[in-house]
Amino acid sequence: MTRRRPDRVRGFGHDEFWAWCDKGELRLQRCANCGKLSWPVVKACEHCGHAELDWARMSGRAKVVSWCTFERDYYGGRLPIPWETILVELEEGALFISNPADFTWKDISLGMAVSLAFLDCEDSAGPFKLPVFARAKQ
Amino acid sequence: MSSPAPWDVPAPARSSSRKTAIIGVGETDYHVDYKAARAKAPGYELPTPESLAATAFERALRDSGLQREDIDGLSVSFLYGGPDAASTARTLGLKPRYLTQNGGIMAGPLQRVCADIIAGKCDTVAMVYAVASRAIGRQYGGEVYKGEAERTPSSYYYYHPWGWSSQAAHWAFVWRYYQAKYGLGEEDLGAVAVQLRKNAMLNPNAVMQAPLSIQDYLASRYIVRPLHLFDLCLVNDGGVCLIVRRADLARGLAHAPVLVAGWGESKIKGAKMHHLVREGLRPQLQDAGAQALEMAGVQLSDIQHFEGYDASTIHLISQLEGYGFVEPGGGLAFCKQGEMAVGGKLPVNVGGGMLSASYMHGWNHVAEITHQLRHDAGRRQIKDLEVSMFSLAQTDQAHPMIFVRGA
Repeated sequence: MTRRRPDRVRGFGHDEFWAWCDKGELRLQRCANCGKLSWPVVKACEHCGHAELDWARMSGRAKVVSWCTFERDYYGGRLPIPWETILVELEEGALFISNPADFTWKDISLGMAVSLAFLDCEDSAGPFKLPVFARAKQ
Repeated sequence: MSSPAPWDVPAPARSSSRKTAIIGVGETDYHVDYKAARAKAPGYELPTPESLAATAFERALRDSGLQREDIDGLSVSFLYGGPDAASTARTLGLKPRYLTQNGGIMAGPLQRVCADIIAGKCDTVAMVYAVASRAIGRQYGGEVYKGEAERTPSSYYYYHPWGWSSQAAHWAFVWRYYQAKYGLGEEDLGAVAVQLRKNAMLNPNAVMQAPLSIQDYLASRYIVRPLHLFDLCLVNDGGVCLIVRRADLARGLAHAPVLVAGWGESKIKGAKMHHLVREGLRPQLQDAGAQALEMAGVQLSDIQHFEGYDASTIHLISQLEGYGFVEPGGGLAFCKQGEMAVGGKLPVNVGGGMLSASYMHGWNHVAEITHQLRHDAGRRQIKDLEVSMFSLAQTDQAHPMIFVRGA
């Protein structure tokens, strides 16, 4: 899979998200009030507006909710076409857009079990680890 | 993510129902202009928002039968940039006492103008909108909106490291989930594109008027698989002008007034992808739809005509199901049975919508409703029409409106 990627968003919250990824952990913001997860990064809980959030570690177990394949190039030739993307539901409940690590759209069925993996990538800010999803081992 | 403003539109109220009316409408020559832009004939000049707005305004003024001096308000909605409201007033030869720069897409400008007329700020407002999307080379997807003077990050910019981008990708997720959940095939969704093209073929101003078969649909290229080219709306240049007036001053004019009867608004607060992909915005559509019906004092079963924001085929179906016209999962069968055609149970986007007629961000839908409720829509006229519903819904919000034919 392509290692050179379009730039990550950096700054408040995002720096922390990517720092956890570099340690091999997928963590999302969890609300101290309602306990729900927010993603992408927020300054206050997207469900209840509470400002106190911590970074909760995800188990990495997930199921495929939807998927789409880009047949048109939106990135000026930097990513090959076709380009595979998936929407997964993490075991903890949040939906997360990612890439399939070892399968294509032809292999997917609704609810297919997948598990977290990290891919060594690079953007203009340097190397980083990107959370992607592989077929779950039976 | 900042918390959204509580209201983009004035709060719906029974006391505001049927107090304002559309009395004039003008549109640019979508079909002719699209062909000219594609042909790039010698001497052809690209349109500007100003030129498009001026054409639409002059046509709406003539359509209304009013004099220029009768216009005492101007509302300007140049979505991708254009002159400010004051200079637009000068260009159009107007001296309005009410002047507003009023958003872009049809998700609030009309409701705000109605509220301001009711509040007594003016009596008769010309609302102009124009986009020169093609002329500026606007593209939808990637890291910035290409074709804008400033680099505007898109709402999906968080997902760039995964190469996920564009509005189309949202609708692709919606369709793939829906398709898998209900066990449907591509030809089922293709029926929507085919139906809207049939509708557009009865609209002499539609950009696309060539026949489209299900075979053409299936053979067309994918943009974001599983969505084909014909699942996504057009990109074209154009302008629309609506003339809106106090309802008590709207009688005895050139046309039957089209009364603004109701509106509503609902936005996703959290878990956007869940609500969009797995719910098809149903909670938001139900909420906003109930507000609009309550304000208008009508039942869902009273709605005889629906014009919905067809950024994609599947999104139009989500709206039909979400408001309750069809049960969840039943929208595509409804379309295949011909129920969305004129003469069907609920004619939908009868001018061809944004998929086949013109990408005017909901303004073209309101123009179509105006003609339909005036009973001057020609070959595509819905018989005995009294009540129409418009829906502007995007990936995270719903803004329905209800219009009725006035005496």
